[in-house]
Amino acid sequence: MSGTSTPTSGVTAAPSVRKEGAPPRGGTGGGRRRREFTTRRGLVVAAFMAPAAVFVALFTYYPMIAGSQMAFRNWNLTDLTDTSWVGFKNFREVFTDPAWGTVLGNTALWVVGSIVPQLVIGFALALWLRRRFRLRGLYQALIFFPWAISGFLIGILFRWMFNSEFGVVNDLLQKAGLIDEPVAWLADPDTAMIAVLVANVWYGVTFFAIMILAALQSIPDELYEAAALDGAGKARTLFRITIPYIRVTLVLTVLLRVIWIFNFPDLIFGMTGGGPNDETHIVTTWMIKITQQGDYGKASALGLLVVAVLLVFAMFFLTATRERGGGRRGAGRGGKRGVRA
Amino acid sequence: MRRRTAALALGTAAAMVLTGCSTMSPGESGTVTLNMVESLTNPARTDLLEELIADFEEKNPKVKVNLVSPPTEQADQKLQQMLQSGSGVDVLEVRDITVGPWSNNGWLYDMKKDLAGWKGWDALTDNAVAASEDDKGRTYFVPYGFYGLSLFHRTDLIKEAGFDKPPATWEELLEQASKIHDPSSRRYGYAFRGGANAHSNATAAIEAYVADRIDPANGYLLKDGKTIFSAPEALDAMEMYLKLFKQASPKSSVAWGYPEMVEGFSNGSTAFLLQDPEVIATVSESKSLDANQWSTAPLMAGPSGKTVQPLATAGWGVAEGSKHKAEAVKLVQFLSEGEASTRFTKGNSLVPILKAAAEDDFYRSGPWASYVTMTENPDTYLVVTQPRGVAWWTEWQQRADTDVQKMILGKLTPKELLAGWDAYWTEKWKK
Repeated sequence: MSGTSTPTSGVTAAPSVRKEGAPPRGGTGGGRRRREFTTRRGLVVAAFMAPAAVFVALFTYYPMIAGSQMAFRNWNLTDLTDTSWVGFKNFREVFTDPAWGTVLGNTALWVVGSIVPQLVIGFALALWLRRRFRLRGLYQALIFFPWAISGFLIGILFRWMFNSEFGVVNDLLQKAGLIDEPVAWLADPDTAMIAVLVANVWYGVTFFAIMILAALQSIPDELYEAAALDGAGKARTLFRITIPYIRVTLVLTVLLRVIWIFNFPDLIFGMTGGGPNDETHIVTTWMIKITQQGDYGKASALGLLVVAVLLVFAMFFLTATRERGGGRRGAGRGGKRGVRA
Repeated sequence: MRRRTAALALGTAAAMVLTGCSTMSPGESGTVTLNMVESLTNPARTDLLEELIADFEEKNPKVKVNLVSPPTEQADQKLQQMLQSGSGVDVLEVRDITVGPWSNNGWLYDMKKDLAGWKGWDALTDNAVAASEDDKGRTYFVPYGFYGLSLFHRTDLIKEAGFDKPPATWEELLEQASKIHDPSSRRYGYAFRGGANAHSNATAAIEAYVADRIDPANGYLLKDGKTIFSAPEALDAMEMYLKLFKQASPKSSVAWGYPEMVEGFSNGSTAFLLQDPEVIATVSESKSLDANQWSTAPLMAGPSGKTVQPLATAGWGVAEGSKHKAEAVKLVQFLSEGEASTRFTKGNSLVPILKAAAEDDFYRSGPWASYVTMTENPDTYLVVTQPRGVAWWTEWQQRADTDVQKMILGKLTPKELLAGWDAYWTEKWKK
C-alpha cells in the first residue's frame, strides 16, 4: 500500500502489480537472494514444462509452419493435382482483389468502432459495480454472462433480433415511436455494419468490465479518502487517481482486445456472412470465404498477413507501454499529484 | 522429494503420449470397425442413422460402425481434411457438389465393380441410377434421396386475393404474390432468397424460361452449345425475377437465407415459398398455420409451359484410403435399399430413390403429392443434370450469390448480371 503513496517505493510493489495482470518488470528482485540454480532443479522444471511444450509445439507451431507454406503454393482443394510453388502470386491476388479496399476499411472500422464504446461502457459499468449495493454479486454475474456465449451463436441471435420483419429491434423502435416503418438493417450494407458493431459492443463490454473491475478493486481506499479530504471532485478523482492507477491494466486490455477483435470473425459470419454484397467482410471473414472456395493458398497468404500485422502491432504496443514506465509507479506519482493539487 | 516430483512429471508426460497412441492399436481380432462421416448433419437425422447402423451391425456382427457427425457448416471442410490425410474415413456422405473435386483428387473409391451384381439396382428410380454414375460411368456414391423444389403456398390467401388455384407459371406467381403483398399490414407475397444460395432460385427461373432449348445433360447449356445465360429468354426471366423482389417481397429479403425464408412462411406472414421437401415437416409443426391453410404445388413453368426440376442429391460413398472397402460397400448397399432407404427418405423428407415409393400413401397425399406429380410427368417437369459437380462450383455459388444481391440492391442490371454469368461459364468450359 505504501508503494502507492511514495513514488520511489513503487518498485517493491511490483510483485503485487503482476498479480493484477501487469507484465513482469526487470529488477523486481531488489536485494532479495536468488535461489541457487542447479542442474537437478533445471531438470525438474524442464520435466514439468515438457508436456505443455510438446503439446504446443505439436498442435500449434507445427500446423502453423506447415500451413504457412501453402501461401506460396498453388494449393486449391478443388484440384490438388498441381500444388507447385508460385512465389508471391497468392499475395498479389489478395492485394489486387477489388474487395481488398472495402475489407481493409471494414476491418479498421470493426476494430475502432467496437473497442471505443466497449471501453467507455465497460469502464462505466466497472465503476458502478465497484460500489457496494444489495445483490451486487448477482448483478455482476448477469453482466458477465454474455462473455460465456459463443460468438457465432450471438451472431445468429442478433441476426434474428435485427430482422426487419420479425425482429425485436424494429418492434421496440417502432413502439417507442423512433421509426415509422421497419428498417431493413441487414439488407443495406451501411446499416448492416452498424448492426454488427452494436452486437459486438454488447458482447465485448463485459470483458472490459471484468478486467477494469478487478483493477479497480486493487486501488486502496485511503487514496480516495485522501483525495476527498483535499477536496477533489468526482471528475478529478477519476482522472487523477483511478485512471492513472489502473493504466497498465487499461493498456493491456485494449491491446488484447484489439488483437481479439481483429481476429473475431464469428459474429459477423453468423450475422451477415459478410453480406450484403460482400460489404461487411473483415479480413478474417474474407479469409473464411476464400477457404470455403477451397483456395487454401490464397487464404493462407491472407492468414500470414494477419499474423504479420498483429505481430507488428503487439511489438509496437508493448514497447510503447514499457517506455512510459506505466503502472503503479506512474499511478503513484499521478495519484500523489492529484491529492496535492 | 524433488526426485519424486520429477518422476511424477515425467510419468504424466509419458502417460499423455501413451494414451495418444493407444487408440491406434488394433481392435479385437476379426472385428472390423468402419468410420462413417456424415455431412448434412442434424440431430434427428443422426439419431435415425444410428438406428439404421444398429440394424446393420445386428445383421453383420463382425462389423462395427463408428458414426462421426461434424456440424453441417464445417462438415465438408472437415471431411476434406480427413480425406487429405488419407485415413480415418471409410464410408462418407458425398454430395453432388463435392463428388467432382473429391474424385478428382483421388479421394473416392469407384464402387462400379463391387456393385456390378447388386440386386438393389432394379429397385432404384431412373433418377437415382443416373445420379449414381458420373460422366465416365464411375460410381463414387449411391444417392440416398433428392432435394427438389416445390412451391409452398397459402391456399387461404390465394383465395382471398381472388384467385382459384396456385400459380402454375412464374408470371402467375408474380401476379398473385404482388396482389397479396401488403407490407403495411405485415403481409408479404414471396419469400425471396437474397442471402446464402440466392443464385439457386434465380437459375431455377432462368432454366424454366429456356426449358424448350435446354441441354438435358447440362442444365447451364442450351442444345446449341451456348450457355443458358446468353439466351434472350434468360433476360425475360431475370426481369420478372427482379419484379418479384420489388413488387412482392419484403425489403430485408436481400439478406434472407434458408432460416428466414422458412420462418417467413411458417409464421404466417408470407404467402409463397420455393423450398425443398424437408420444409414440409417444419411447416407442419407451425403454430401459426393450420393444415388447411397451406399446401405445395409443382415448380412453376416458364412461358413454354415446361420447367426444369433442379434436383440436388447426395449419397453414401467409400473413401479410397479405406482399408475395409468390402465392408464399407456392404454398408452403402444396406443404406441404399429396402426398409433402411425408405425410413431414411421419409424421416428426412427427401424425394425417394426407390420406385416403390410412388405407390406409398405417404407420398401420394397432402403436400407430398406435388413431388409425385413432378416425377410422373417428366415431359413437363424436365429432369436435367445440373453442373454441380464441377470443381469451381463453390466459387461460382459465392460469385453468383453476390451478383444476385447486387442486382436487387440496384448495383447491377439483369443484363449485366447475365453477361457476367455467360462470360464466366464460357471461360470455365473453354479450359
